[in-house]
Amino acid sequence: MSGLEQIIREKLANGSDAFLCLKNQAGVSVPVLITSPDSEDIEVAELGEVRYPLGKILIALQKEHPDTRLAVVVRGCDERAFIELSKLEQLDLDKLVMIGVACTPEEAEACGCAKPYPEDVTLGEKVENPRGLETIERLESMSDSERMQWWKEEFSRCIKCYGCRNICPMCFCKDCSLENPHLVEPGVIPPEFPSFHIIRALDMAGRCIDCGLCEESCPAEIPLRSLYRKMQEIMADKLDYRAGESRDEKSPLSFLGEEAEIKNLE
Amino acid sequence: MEGMSVSEEVRILAFLCNWCSYAGADLAGVSRLQYPANVLDVRVMCTGTISTYFVVKAFQEGMDGVLIAGCHIGDCHYLKGNYMTAKRFQVLRDALKFLGLEEGRLRLEWVSAAEGEKYAEVIRSFSDEVQALGPSPLRKKDKTA
Repeated sequence: MSGLEQIIREKLANGSDAFLCLKNQAGVSVPVLITSPDSEDIEVAELGEVRYPLGKILIALQKEHPDTRLAVVVRGCDERAFIELSKLEQLDLDKLVMIGVACTPEEAEACGCAKPYPEDVTLGEKVENPRGLETIERLESMSDSERMQWWKEEFSRCIKCYGCRNICPMCFCKDCSLENPHLVEPGVIPPEFPSFHIIRALDMAGRCIDCGLCEESCPAEIPLRSLYRKMQEIMADKLDYRAGESRDEKSPLSFLGEEAEIKNLE
Repeated sequence: MEGMSVSEEVRILAFLCNWCSYAGADLAGVSRLQYPANVLDVRVMCTGTISTYFVVKAFQEGMDGVLIAGCHIGDCHYLKGNYMTAKRFQVLRDALKFLGLEEGRLRLEWVSAAEGEKYAEVIRSFSDEVQALGPSPLRKKDKTA
């Protein structure tokens, strides 16, 4: 990707102190921090065939070096994640230069994301993509007991690897409820239905930016994304909020709020 | 509840806010109002302190229905605590519904300290509703007693 190479050199010459991106190392994408325009890593920098959430690395870098201007390549989902993280006071967007990459039509279709492009697109072409709600609609046409049975079977494959939490760009807590022995009994595999999964789902309400990394990383192929996408739909439907869309409006679940906001309550 | 032994009865957990609903329940008691005895109540300082985890935990531990009762909107002792409850509740109920738990098992009511009669009525109707749904599908088999 020569376009990327040029952008990295440009950004490093124009005020950015470092560029965080992925590089191809023996066929595997690994994160790398490029600090000099002479670095050899620039030539092997890539967008990565496999997505890798750079958010946690950014949070750590910004904590260590709060005054550094960091540049980073973002897809639509990365941008939503960074916006939401900044509202949760984890990232400083003023110190972050985001270089937007639009996903290709094939990537967008395979992913099912409703906004597969960031606000400012530098590389690639914007494509519109319908929100993939088929699984949710199919589940909602079932009866309550059928749906519970379906989820029970899916979750019975869970090996409690915490992969969904570890990969999640929006999970940054040091103390995780999923490791609280009062909520999730230690040493029980698969974890109890539904506590483990509902606790994570509830924490994702107002946070999940629909990147789909949880489902991608799940070794048991549990359709986690449908659950978290449903949480997004609930937030949009009941509380009129979609994570990562606005830079100023905070999640209604993060403050006490006003009477007008609870109008939907029957 | 005729013809039913105690163990077959459904169990309900009620989270009551200290300032309104607990006093409302107290009033129902001193007024000698009749309501079903299968309700276990937990007094909390404000319904806004009730984490969604508490409700999940209640179902996990074998409750068949969970009631959250607090001050009317605008009357919260902490001004806006029940706004949080209202927002959280809507998300929680829909999330549990999506996993297959009937909506009727979770209820939010506003009961003031003067509404002893309303409290008794809420418990009566909620108990009937949960009774009609039967034992919760999340009940653990070894914890039915």
